[in-house]
Amino acid sequence: MRKKSKTIKDSNQSSFYFEDYLETNKKNKFAKKTNIFLDRIYLLFFSFFCLILIFSIKIIYISSNEIETFNQENESSKFVLLRRDIVDRNGILISRNVKSFDVAINPKLIKDKNNFLLKIRLNFPSLSINEIEKKLNKNQWFYLKRRIDQSEREKLWALGEKGIIFEHIQARMYTHGNLFSHIIGQVDYDNYGVSGLEKYFDKELKDKKLLKKPIKLTLDSNVQYIINKELNEALRIFKATGGGALLMDVKTGDIISLVSLPNFNINKREEIKYINKITKGVYELGSVFKTFTVAIALDYNLVTPQSEIKDIPRKLKCSSHEISDIKEFPTNLSVENILIRSSNIGTLLVARKIGEKKFKKFIDDTNLLKSPEIQLEEVGNPINFNWNKCKLETVSFGHGITTTPLQVASIYAALVNGGKLIKPNLIKNNQTKNYKRIISEKTSQNITNILRKVVTDKKGTASLADVHGYNVGGKTGTSQNYKDKNDNLNTFISVFPTQEPKYTLLVMLQNPQVAKNLIYNYRGLKVKGTRNEAGWNSVYVAGKIIEKIGPILAINNEEFTNHVAEKIN
Amino acid sequence: MFRSKKTMSVTIFLIFLITISIIKNKTRLLEKEIYELSKKIAIKEKELNDIELDFYYLTSPVIIEKKIENLNYNNYSPMEYSKIFLDIENFMNIHNKLTILKNQYEKEIKNN
Repeated sequence: MRKKSKTIKDSNQSSFYFEDYLETNKKNKFAKKTNIFLDRIYLLFFSFFCLILIFSIKIIYISSNEIETFNQENESSKFVLLRRDIVDRNGILISRNVKSFDVAINPKLIKDKNNFLLKIRLNFPSLSINEIEKKLNKNQWFYLKRRIDQSEREKLWALGEKGIIFEHIQARMYTHGNLFSHIIGQVDYDNYGVSGLEKYFDKELKDKKLLKKPIKLTLDSNVQYIINKELNEALRIFKATGGGALLMDVKTGDIISLVSLPNFNINKREEIKYINKITKGVYELGSVFKTFTVAIALDYNLVTPQSEIKDIPRKLKCSSHEISDIKEFPTNLSVENILIRSSNIGTLLVARKIGEKKFKKFIDDTNLLKSPEIQLEEVGNPINFNWNKCKLETVSFGHGITTTPLQVASIYAALVNGGKLIKPNLIKNNQTKNYKRIISEKTSQNITNILRKVVTDKKGTASLADVHGYNVGGKTGTSQNYKDKNDNLNTFISVFPTQEPKYTLLVMLQNPQVAKNLIYNYRGLKVKGTRNEAGWNSVYVAGKIIEKIGPILAINNEEFTNHVAEKIN
Repeated sequence: MFRSKKTMSVTIFLIFLITISIIKNKTRLLEKEIYELSKKIAIKEKELNDIELDFYYLTSPVIIEKKIENLNYNNYSPMEYSKIFLDIENFMNIHNKLTILKNQYEKEIKNN
């Protein structure tokens, strides 16, 4: 049966092979067509998938990226800082970049030059018209004015000259004018630091990752202002040619205030001849060195504060030099009295007990003869020093040796903080923890007590700094400039409160005169000053400063609050 | 079958086309909005920057001292501590005490 049907089926077809071929071909064609169709669909799917993927990525990119990416087109509305802000220890702004303009002139685009000059003369009378005219006639592109503000820009815009070109720039503004001039320094027109902290921290200030984070200093604007004001006042009263002051934390080395007069307005770009007297000025600081001599002697147990130095001569010849005291002192003086009364010969005799080797070691340990380490470019180099004949004797009372006031203040901080030599620091939270010990804690305590007596003792040289409630101690120094003998330098380095020293304040006056009209309150008596010594000018100024800054420094300061409260009650 | 597949693919194409155009349009709007907002933020930031600068300048000790010097002290007469009352009760108490004292004083004068 099967065979039959097969034969019937076979009889209808022309060729089995052909039939099969046709059908297979048909099937293949259809399959091919379907495949092409499917491929197209896949391609379409793939294209759409790609498009969706692109847009999805873009949405994710928009949502995840910073806003600035989409703001690049509008440069005028965008303001990206080129330098970081500088703030004081309380977050008060000291320095910031602001949007400003430079005005340039393209003379080729100015049709009526005379008319243009007339307009400039009317609107900007301070500009030199002759110079502008010369530049205009040269037919070369030049700057008319740099760092103009918005109002000046509007004035120039209103002139309607095509040849006026405004260049967008960033100018550095200093909110306190000349208050921090010697510390902050300046930047050039291209925002590169050229002096002070601006130069020292140029790289850090331009760090793009930290642009929104300001550099925090240890300085205090309010304290700085008070000290600056008092020092300016002192320059007026004592007719001094210059001055300097430094307030430092004795435990951390944080500089709270640094003033050097004369100063200048850092918002103006002028050629400046003034130096930072505290960090760059190199001076013979005189009797303030006597404290070092006594400290070394005490530290080596060569003497005690009560040890008596007997038969102190009135004059003493050392090599070719004749050394004497300004005032007449008793022939027998205790070591602490030598410092309290500031006896040159007494100190010299103590130094002879110490010897050159130990003294030299102290000077090497304290880096007194090296440049000071501070975050400023403007640092002084002490003059070359050789241990010649009679050097020990003169150095013992601060003559024949030069250094910067900053270094001396740092050593005073070490003498009263327990003996640890601190590094002066201008950046908040930047203290080093490894301090070098230069004297023992016991010596430090003894020195602090003697310094307090310099202020409280009847024979002490710094009575005018005895400010009620602040337990001030310190040492005076009256000296001459090593270059010019007519140039006087009166210094007072104070430490307070002496029950637990926290601050050291250095006040320095250059060439002060006797203030004949000034009435001093000297131990409750109203007296007129007759002598031109540190005790009558620098000490007076330091007293005035401590009286005013004391309450500011006492904020949240338990030991101060308790002490003041104790006094009031 | 071929026709139905064709219809299906066209439908899918259209759906995708519409979806893409919607997404693209939304993206464009979003971008525009972000741009506008970022522009506003930039302006605000600049204003804040300038205002902060003005604030720190105007509150610097030099300027504050100048302002104090320029103030006319006559406009601000100091008030006696005894005339400052914390509340009405405080005022009444003191007032009553003063009246009692006044009456006592008057009585004393009369008796004398």
